[in-house]
Amino acid sequence: VSGASHSPGDGSHRTIECVPAEPEPTRERGSWPLLRRPGDLRRELGARRGREGIDDAERALAWPAGFCASPEDRHALLVLLCLSTLTPRRLLGLAAMEGSAASCLEAVRRGRDASVRDQELARSIDPRDMARRLERGGAGLVAVHDPGYPPELLDLFDPPAGLLVRGHPLGLLEPRVAIVGARNCSAAGSEIAASLARALARAGVTVVSGGARGIDAAAHRGALDAGGTTLAVLGSGIDVDYPRGNRVLLAEIAAEGAVVSEYPPGIPAEPFRFPARNRVVAALSVGVVVVEGRTGSGSMITADHALDLGREVFAVPGPITSELGEVPLALIRDGATLLRGPDDLLGDLGLSLPAPGGARSRARGRGGPPAAHLSPGESDRDAGSPPQDLSQVESVVWGALQAPTPPDHIAARTGIGLPEVMSALFQLEVRRLVRAVGGRYERRLGHERG
Amino acid sequence: VYGRVFGVAVVGVRGSVITVEAHVGRGLPSLTLTGLPGAGVQDARERVRPAVESSGLEWPLRRVVVNLSPAGVRKDGPGFDLPIALGVLAAAAQVPAGPLASYAFAGELSLKGELIPVPGVLAVAIAAAEAGIQGVVVPEGNAAEAELVEGLEVVGAPTLRAVVDLLKGLWRPAPLRRPPADGDPGPQAGMDFSDVRGQGVARRALEIAAAGGHNVLMMGPPGAGKTMLARRLSTILPGMTRQEALEVTRLHSVAGVLSGGGLVRARPFRAPHQSVSMPGLLGGGSGFLRPGEVSLAHNGVLFLDEVTEFRRDALEGLRQPLEDGRVVVTRAVGAVEFPARFTLVAAANPCPCGYEGDLRRACRCPPNRADAYRHRLSGPLLDRLDIRLSVPRLSRAELLGSQDGEASAVIRGRVEEARERQRRRMPEAPWRCNAQMPGSVARDVARLTRDAERTLSQAVDGMALSGRGFDRAVRVARTIADLRGHERVEADDMAEALTYRTPWQVGEAAKAG
Repeated sequence: VSGASHSPGDGSHRTIECVPAEPEPTRERGSWPLLRRPGDLRRELGARRGREGIDDAERALAWPAGFCASPEDRHALLVLLCLSTLTPRRLLGLAAMEGSAASCLEAVRRGRDASVRDQELARSIDPRDMARRLERGGAGLVAVHDPGYPPELLDLFDPPAGLLVRGHPLGLLEPRVAIVGARNCSAAGSEIAASLARALARAGVTVVSGGARGIDAAAHRGALDAGGTTLAVLGSGIDVDYPRGNRVLLAEIAAEGAVVSEYPPGIPAEPFRFPARNRVVAALSVGVVVVEGRTGSGSMITADHALDLGREVFAVPGPITSELGEVPLALIRDGATLLRGPDDLLGDLGLSLPAPGGARSRARGRGGPPAAHLSPGESDRDAGSPPQDLSQVESVVWGALQAPTPPDHIAARTGIGLPEVMSALFQLEVRRLVRAVGGRYERRLGHERG
Repeated sequence: VYGRVFGVAVVGVRGSVITVEAHVGRGLPSLTLTGLPGAGVQDARERVRPAVESSGLEWPLRRVVVNLSPAGVRKDGPGFDLPIALGVLAAAAQVPAGPLASYAFAGELSLKGELIPVPGVLAVAIAAAEAGIQGVVVPEGNAAEAELVEGLEVVGAPTLRAVVDLLKGLWRPAPLRRPPADGDPGPQAGMDFSDVRGQGVARRALEIAAAGGHNVLMMGPPGAGKTMLARRLSTILPGMTRQEALEVTRLHSVAGVLSGGGLVRARPFRAPHQSVSMPGLLGGGSGFLRPGEVSLAHNGVLFLDEVTEFRRDALEGLRQPLEDGRVVVTRAVGAVEFPARFTLVAAANPCPCGYEGDLRRACRCPPNRADAYRHRLSGPLLDRLDIRLSVPRLSRAELLGSQDGEASAVIRGRVEEARERQRRRMPEAPWRCNAQMPGSVARDVARLTRDAERTLSQAVDGMALSGRGFDRAVRVARTIADLRGHERVEADDMAEALTYRTPWQVGEAAKAG
């Protein structure tokens, strides 16, 4: 059963206590117990993806000690990272034979381990030039064996040989928890992501995400708003702001936390880089929270990697009727930890919100949020209890909002005139108790209002 | 050898009386047209002679010159066939010159000598009356239209022969069949707001739009009922005054879309397709300048379904009519003005796939495409859309649970009252309804109570309401107060107005989430 139950990073959770003691070797595939732990999943997923055949010798393949010792090696590595057909795994194999990065580059230029186009590219790029470009962009290289290289990345089957970093050293941004999800998310999804990120940030956790739109952007934004730190892992070159709409956000992330990428300056965002980026997101985090996602999306890939790496996986359930609920619900069914809100997440991570004023938030130029925002009580109220000090019409309208409802239906159900219902809905909306989505109104969750 | 007849050239919606002179002189048989005839008038050259000969009249086999004066005005349209034929016949002494001078003539001729109806006859009749001419002779099918001008003798003639006999005193037209009192029933015949099930908010918003003349943007997934709602807006607008109806009739007459003749009494509803060209939407075209869809919607509703799919330049061109209530089309030959005061109803899917915000189907648009989609509407155009609402696609259960709506007549009653209140409040103001209040004065004119002010400032703080959004909300709130009969805008009116501002662009919602 080979150590599956004490995987790295799984901080001791209740899930383990609930697992019925069942002799694993005798279990047949397909007859799973109701509750499973991440380790089981990991093996199952590994088998599904054909990873079980990897022998220990190959797994033990490691970067040679002198891989990136000299400045020439570091410059050469920058070139090697540009070559998309020289995958990290191939580079690892090559390094085992050649020793240093500079010799690897020589070997590739002579025609090894990369496509002809990439060999051509390797010959045409001047390593020094690339180094200068990196410097101009205000980014630095952290190569394997460097003190700043996050050792967690070595848990990966194909660890990157180096990471490019814009912003603070990764050692300062710990512990890290990832929040990922659909780019095309719902309004509720992005609010949930932001509130989870705020809670993590206030508890001193760095929020990791992919720098994309939707859930990713909401998570980064939430962390920044709470005066916390956040880390964006790009699927494009370190100086390529993709998507362009997030340029300002990425600049802020670099200023308050860090933006990292496996890819040197100038590498465009291409579809195949995003799944690769997701493995880095998972590896850098002790846990991954999936907020919304459709079957087959990048969120699923990140969660798969997290399971593979023995990271904790959390999922915020969505309605079974929504496509956006597909990934979280599938993960929960497979044993991921269900989150009802930030309190669940902090509790499971063994964290608590610091007392007001004691937050491990950086002193930010524009001043932190008011202390009231930090009070742990913020998230205590659950969605069902009626808010205080509403007018009579407002509380009747609030009471009628059990599900997303068009205002005229509220009017019909309560017998209040439509104009009065509209006015009441405005009052509730401005107090952030409800929101309008596509012509219907729905309640906001208690913890979304921070 | 010389004959003289009055015709009318139509430029824009205005007619101007043209003298058609004919001279029959020595030379080889020919017909020459001078005096800036447009392509349509040039055509008459070949049509007139067969028509004359088919009517049992004689074409002078000599050199014929026809001059249209004043020569500075470009003459266009098929209406010149009849005056040209009569001018030639007068020059050939086949019709008496005396009675000719008391009529203006318009009409197209067939080769057989029949008179065929032409567009723009109302404009012809108005011009003739203004020029002090006693009567007009027009094709039978246009007579009802010309009759709308008071104090003008109208003769509807079936053929060229009949016109000649009229002038000789041998024929009198049968007394005109009076057009039915209702005139053209309009495109909304048989439509009523009570047909719409559910969508109470949209119904209410359209009632407000009708009462204050506000333009509306409706966002919703396919099948939500946006088109059905928009078509019914013109049924709750107040009835047109005779003056308004005449304006509409004249525009429709010039454009040749008048059906059945007589006064247009129903407010127009125009729904051009997305592929409409800029001249098609705004007016113009080469040669004869026709009114565009915005002018055909004058005093009525212009509905742009899938508004984001319209050509950008055409949409931008809407800004002038939305601002001034008219379109000025400028060509080398001069500038022409068409009235175009309409209520704009724009409908759009919330995103390219149409399902953003839908309960059952999630949106699948890449976010950057959704952004690009929304940027197709420019800020200045959005600014003119006071009311923006989401129209949800109702589930079957929601539909079954909905109540039937009120009838259009009931709603129209309230709308007319609200309009009356607006007129009474500001009898001297240059604007006719709340929507036309300039932003700079809206807040003073609207007269907000202290509570309403407080509600408004709540929205400014809590919902990142922009300055323009602010003005829009005040205008809509004023209309809501008028509908409810409130002297001043109360907090409730303001709060309701603030719910009709569903954000369109992502940026607008930035701080709302």
